[in-house]
Amino acid sequence: MRPLLEVRGLKKYYPIKTGLFGKSVGQVKAVDNVDLDIYPNETLGLVGESGCGKSTLARLILRLERPNAGTTIFGGIDARNATGESIRNLRSGMQVIFQDPFGSLNPRKKVLSLVEEPMLIHRIGTKSEIRERALRLMELVGMHKDVLGRYPHEFSGGQRQRICIARSLALNPKLVICDEPVSALDVSIQAQVINLLIDLQDELGLSYLFISHDLSVVGYISDRVAVMYLGSIVESAPTSSIYNHPMHPYTQALLASVPVPKPGLKKVKPKLRGDISNMLYTLDGCVFSPRCSLAKDICYNTKPDLIEKEEGHLVACHMC
Amino acid sequence: MAEQVKSDMDEVRNLSLDKSILLIDDLHTHFFTSDGVIKAVDGVTLSLKKGFVLGIVGESGCGKTVLALSVMRLIPDPPGRIVKGRIIFDGADLLALDEDEMRRIRGGQISMIFQDPMSSLNPVFTIGAQVSEVILLHDRDVSGPRPALAKAVDVLKIVGIPSPEKRIKDYPHQLSGGMRQRVMIAMALACRPKLMIADEPTTALDVTTQAQILTLMNDLKDKIGTSIILVTHDLGIVAETCQEVAVMYTGKIVEFSNVDKIFNNPLHPYTNGLMKALPVIDNRSESSRLYTIPGTVPPFTDLPSGCTFHDRCEESMDICAHEFPPVCYPEPDHMVRCWRFKT
Repeated sequence: MRPLLEVRGLKKYYPIKTGLFGKSVGQVKAVDNVDLDIYPNETLGLVGESGCGKSTLARLILRLERPNAGTTIFGGIDARNATGESIRNLRSGMQVIFQDPFGSLNPRKKVLSLVEEPMLIHRIGTKSEIRERALRLMELVGMHKDVLGRYPHEFSGGQRQRICIARSLALNPKLVICDEPVSALDVSIQAQVINLLIDLQDELGLSYLFISHDLSVVGYISDRVAVMYLGSIVESAPTSSIYNHPMHPYTQALLASVPVPKPGLKKVKPKLRGDISNMLYTLDGCVFSPRCSLAKDICYNTKPDLIEKEEGHLVACHMC
Repeated sequence: MAEQVKSDMDEVRNLSLDKSILLIDDLHTHFFTSDGVIKAVDGVTLSLKKGFVLGIVGESGCGKTVLALSVMRLIPDPPGRIVKGRIIFDGADLLALDEDEMRRIRGGQISMIFQDPMSSLNPVFTIGAQVSEVILLHDRDVSGPRPALAKAVDVLKIVGIPSPEKRIKDYPHQLSGGMRQRVMIAMALACRPKLMIADEPTTALDVTTQAQILTLMNDLKDKIGTSIILVTHDLGIVAETCQEVAVMYTGKIVEFSNVDKIFNNPLHPYTNGLMKALPVIDNRSESSRLYTIPGTVPPFTDLPSGCTFHDRCEESMDICAHEFPPVCYPEPDHMVRCWRFKT
């Protein structure tokens, strides 16, 4: 099967500027040579700690940022060559849900016009068709149509996230990028939103790129999981494979760090040195080598490639 | 009914008075706002044994932070005020102390760690100055800034900051999030407090850093013998670090027991719902949907009558809508406030 989204060699470097004239003294490799595939009706989980480049990768896929190198091919359209009309098609096929449902809804607009807005911009259908579709979308995400005349501040966090979801579905996207969609929500509300996302996927055949730092949520919702560290994908595999049999030392440490809600469970504590490294210092070798307990000379000198060690299980590590 | 509740409360008091470092007794903290009186802490009775870690769990807006701040007597007044109750710490009622006496206890005998280390450290002072300030204020054995700074270096070493003698000259912005939280813990532990209150100490941190900080807090508890109140919404953290757990909902403790009973045999429908709503890694094939508690946490300005959970509860009975359930003890060490357990 052909992937819905192919990401090839994507790079985004930000220059570090200092002084009065903004002299460039180096660069932050926010996304460094990332390859990814997302297949139709699949959920790819993307995990990593803060500052590892997860959100930058999402912005690059959405073309909200231009990459320094590499490309994304979505539904057969190469984003590099896309201009004008074709970039519009690209964008309507990919939508995004952000973490903060408070910051992503215009407080001066009523719910109805918030949901209608994307359809008006992309000029699909007449005014009455758009209104009808907005009503259907609100029903789809479980909101009563009586609330359409209200403003965002009148809703709770979970309800606002439902409005964001309705809005992201307005243009019939094939891929929805969920950037920490449940991180700001309480446990009981989080479960409601996760269930909604799963139901919508089954109903509409959506693909998700599900970005989160919460490994339990990602493990629950994803078909495949990719682990990111300092701008690079270090491991990617089917969910059960990566959780039962993590290969990369970073993935192992990450999984061992997750608090498990079972009292008395004795766990092996991860052997990790230091904090997440500063992106400002560029390393020749493996990005994880300064913190890794297994690191040998080769790890400090040569960057490992992402290699398929088992069927569908890719790892970037010299020691695996 | 009221007498029954009262005698139950007496029982808690007698059971725990001898071994406990902290006893909160029928505490009410209210906020007087233009929208009406908000009863953020509404009749909380709790005790913490010496050397134990007590977890207070609940969703946002359930009053857990206000409870923690009440113990420190840091409730902004106006609009807030502790209207009723006692907080017995180490034999003395904190609510009866004047502000000077309270100031000596705060930071010295009871210390607090807040969620956000960036906004709880002063950006214009070095971390050495900030840690030694606590020592100068509370440690009578230390006189003068130089010995205080030397002690600050020791404390920073204990919390695992590499080369602390250099780091004391750094400003908070020069440290990573995990390092900043270590500095906060160093400040909290500098005077070997008897009680430490940690309000979501790792929520702003990454999982690997979180694991390091929690391990550190546990080690220090054993080393120094500090009792800890851990306020959090993360049930995983509670299971790993706490011995006793109080579940809070709309300003009230609805269930209180040791960690095994809370996780393996939760009695209150709310606790039970929270446990079932947690996503567990890779169990989607077994059960395709997560359990959800219907509805949302009600705002304090619009609480339902009777049991405040009854309109979200699958097991609610007629009486639930009329009266808040009393304190019930289905087992001697397991408290729950639910009509189903009223004998």
